[in-house]
Amino acid sequence: MADHQPNTSPAASLSGLTKRFPGFQLGPLDLVLEPGTVLALVGPNGAGKTTTLNCMAGLVVPNEGVTEVFGAPVHPTQTEYRRDIGYVGEENGFFQGWTAARNLKFLADLLPGWSNDRANSYIKRFALPLDKPVNKLSRGNKTKLSLVAAMAHGPRLLLLDEPTAGLDPVVRSEVLDVLWEITEDGEHAVLYSTHVLSDISRLADELAFLRDGKMVLRTGRDELSESWRRVSFRLANDDVELTGVVEHRRVRAEHQVITREAEATLQQLTDLGAEAVEVSRMTVDEIAVQILKEGHHVARAES
Amino acid sequence: MWHALKAELAYFRPWLLGGLGIATGVVLLLSVLMRFSTDEDGPPAFLVAIFPIIAGMVVSFIAGSYRIEERRARLLLSGALTPRKLAWVTVLLPACFVGLSVLAVPPILGAAALLAGKFEFSLSPTAGTFALQFWAYAQLGPLAQESSAARRQHRGRAGLLGWAVFAGVILVLAGCQFFLRSTQGHMWQVMAIVAAIGVAATLYQGRTDFTR
Repeated sequence: MADHQPNTSPAASLSGLTKRFPGFQLGPLDLVLEPGTVLALVGPNGAGKTTTLNCMAGLVVPNEGVTEVFGAPVHPTQTEYRRDIGYVGEENGFFQGWTAARNLKFLADLLPGWSNDRANSYIKRFALPLDKPVNKLSRGNKTKLSLVAAMAHGPRLLLLDEPTAGLDPVVRSEVLDVLWEITEDGEHAVLYSTHVLSDISRLADELAFLRDGKMVLRTGRDELSESWRRVSFRLANDDVELTGVVEHRRVRAEHQVITREAEATLQQLTDLGAEAVEVSRMTVDEIAVQILKEGHHVARAES
Repeated sequence: MWHALKAELAYFRPWLLGGLGIATGVVLLLSVLMRFSTDEDGPPAFLVAIFPIIAGMVVSFIAGSYRIEERRARLLLSGALTPRKLAWVTVLLPACFVGLSVLAVPPILGAAALLAGKFEFSLSPTAGTFALQFWAYAQLGPLAQESSAARRQHRGRAGLLGWAVFAGVILVLAGCQFFLRSTQGHMWQVMAIVAAIGVAATLYQGRTDFTR
């Protein structure tokens, strides 16, 4: 990545970001992303993940709110912030009839800070075929090309919209490895949207859950896995209200619950005299599914 | 901006060459047919000139739709281009295609004359009128795209302005059919083209969404 002056500004900050479409409103969103952080935007289709990333990349002008990247305001008419952003979307606007090499050559002349050495190292790493036209590349190779194009000018913030969707496990693993290495120096940040939940535990330090255009929860990955548990127990009392429980299944005296406040729930069960209490950890992916299922309910409770 | 414009022209060069090739083929075929099946020496020069210009206009329409489909604005906005520069790339592209096709007129005229055995290149003002008309049609492409985009992005007044200018250009072009050979007709057409270019560029700069 390129050498930049030390900057104390956050890698990205959104303040009251709002974008309205007929029948849908994104935001208002407030978000601060520090350098060295990998933040996953998690949410179902239509939650507003892509619109958020497009606003941050300056491709969509929000109705309200301010977006900054390393202190520089984001707006299509501004160019300062762009050298700090590498964006990978589902479609990146390449000349489809040109080879990958020709597209990269075009970008090399267009993007300030482009380094051929850096580009070549990623090309080699990804084993990207350069001599094929873009419209003949597989989906995985198109994603690799997008990543090379997004990273070769040395941006400090990578915005990735579903970067691993549709990739085979080997390519996905390669992509995640590279992203992980990029943030290792603590100066770069990655914000990526995904609904491939297995990627979350591999890459993200923090998670922001979006649903219906609103951020329902933002939390650290470790905090999340510390507080959520699956608990099974036996209790004769049917009519029991347990703290922090988001899912409760019961067959006669056998209960199975999912709780986001494990400590409080277990204390309550002890007080109630529950028997055969078994506690199991949940994976981040499982927790994410629960949060997305619960949506606003969880958000209300968390706040 | 010029780098992007040059790249777009290079990208669509095969379409332009293909279009000019077809136009040349049609002209040569006409020349042969007219020489051997009629008493004419070949097609009139203004007719020969029209075919390559039509090719340039058609290629500008193709390029416009490809650029939208391939989401070119995304790529160009990742660099140092501002919406203003992007707008000029978009509106100058049709002008470049028509301009390049005009450059192809003399050699095609020459080839047609060779076949017809007639070496008189008197292009009447009618040829100029047709060239301006097809250029104007080519410029209506970006204008229509930006007017639609403005409506989609809920910039109602901008959209209305775009469609009003679109209708105005059509009216001017229709009116000019009655003044095909007059300088005044040419002037009106030039003004219509300038209006189409200016308004399309302005609407583009006011976009709130550059994802397509």
